[in-house]
Amino acid sequence: MGQKLDTTLALLNGLCGDYLSRTGNGLATEMAWYREGRPVPLVRDAFARAYPAAGARVAVFVHGVMCSETIWALPDGSDYGSLLERDLGFTPLYLRYNSGRAIADNGAALSALLEALLAAHPVPIEEIVPIGYSMGGLVVRSACHAASVGGQRWLSHVRRAIYVGTPHLGAPAERAGRFVTKVLAAIDDPYTRLIADIGDLRSDGVKDLGHADLRHEDRALAASLRDPRHPVPLLCGIAHHLVAGSMAVDPRLAFLFGDAVVPVSSATFAVRGAAADALLPADCVKVLPGVSHLGLAHHPDVYAQLRRWCEEAS
Amino acid sequence: MTDVKRWRGLRALIGDAIEHGSAAIERVHLETARRPFAILEQVPGIGERAHTIHQIHDGLVSTVYATIRGVNRALGDTIDAALDQLEQTDTRQGD
Repeated sequence: MGQKLDTTLALLNGLCGDYLSRTGNGLATEMAWYREGRPVPLVRDAFARAYPAAGARVAVFVHGVMCSETIWALPDGSDYGSLLERDLGFTPLYLRYNSGRAIADNGAALSALLEALLAAHPVPIEEIVPIGYSMGGLVVRSACHAASVGGQRWLSHVRRAIYVGTPHLGAPAERAGRFVTKVLAAIDDPYTRLIADIGDLRSDGVKDLGHADLRHEDRALAASLRDPRHPVPLLCGIAHHLVAGSMAVDPRLAFLFGDAVVPVSSATFAVRGAAADALLPADCVKVLPGVSHLGLAHHPDVYAQLRRWCEEAS
Repeated sequence: MTDVKRWRGLRALIGDAIEHGSAAIERVHLETARRPFAILEQVPGIGERAHTIHQIHDGLVSTVYATIRGVNRALGDTIDAALDQLEQTDTRQGD
């Protein structure tokens, strides 16, 4: 019952979480660290109790839209975090947040939470590895941007970031939905306008996925992240690792349709230019054939790649 | 406490959905009726009567939807009062 309720609330928050948050609704999820389905208060004692074997290297897992940290669970009950803990000694921390809020709001909140984590973690933190799935990757990028602008200390502990099925160049499905809504709203008919109004109810978080808007001001920009002049590039000084899924065998179809939700071009940040090439060497990008978008969050091949990247000396 | 907060949230969400949903359907209802009435109001001989019927129709439609919203708010207030009571009982038992 508990997990079903959490799943329903995660879905509801993804659909209209911005509204729930604005109206102070009790169904809105507040961003927090979760362990075994329960929030862990961000104080040292509570953290020490929740993580008795906490280490200096922390892996932060940020889920995607309309889901919670349970999305990481593999069929055998383990997950990428518990496997990284077993194999490489990382302490896994799972974030739960309201995925309907704007990515910029969640990014700023995550940045503040990570700053507070430095004080609350039972042992001094040496390294933080953010691992974001789908929208979670954009939230991680937004948090890094907020921390670099705000001069927050936690960013200096990040040497690598991993993005799993993250739409760095936006999600075409959301852009298509936006287009259809605009067309329906423009037709002088009360029924089509009603359908357009219902379509427009989707949350700020979902809308931000269209062009991967990491800041509030990005929504007004004509240039999206695909523009190399965009003011929020992949941060320098961090090794960025990208995993993409691909359902199609044909490479051209795979590039266009990817894991059925995010095209490979978007998940692999396929931007031309010397700066992008320098930030993303070929061995930092992995395309996994036959893995769907949902499957990326709990697939043995993805874990094998994550482990390989986490093993590398930082 | 969390359960009551969630029930209160669910009550508010359903209440908001009925409030905004009924307003949206009312707009569609009035707009759909406006078109045939607009044609009838141009027909010589029946135009004036059609206009009067149009106004009565709009008034009735708006009254019906306003009643739905009123009942929705009253029901919401009643559920809130019940949840307040439940919360107070929980607090007393916790003391």
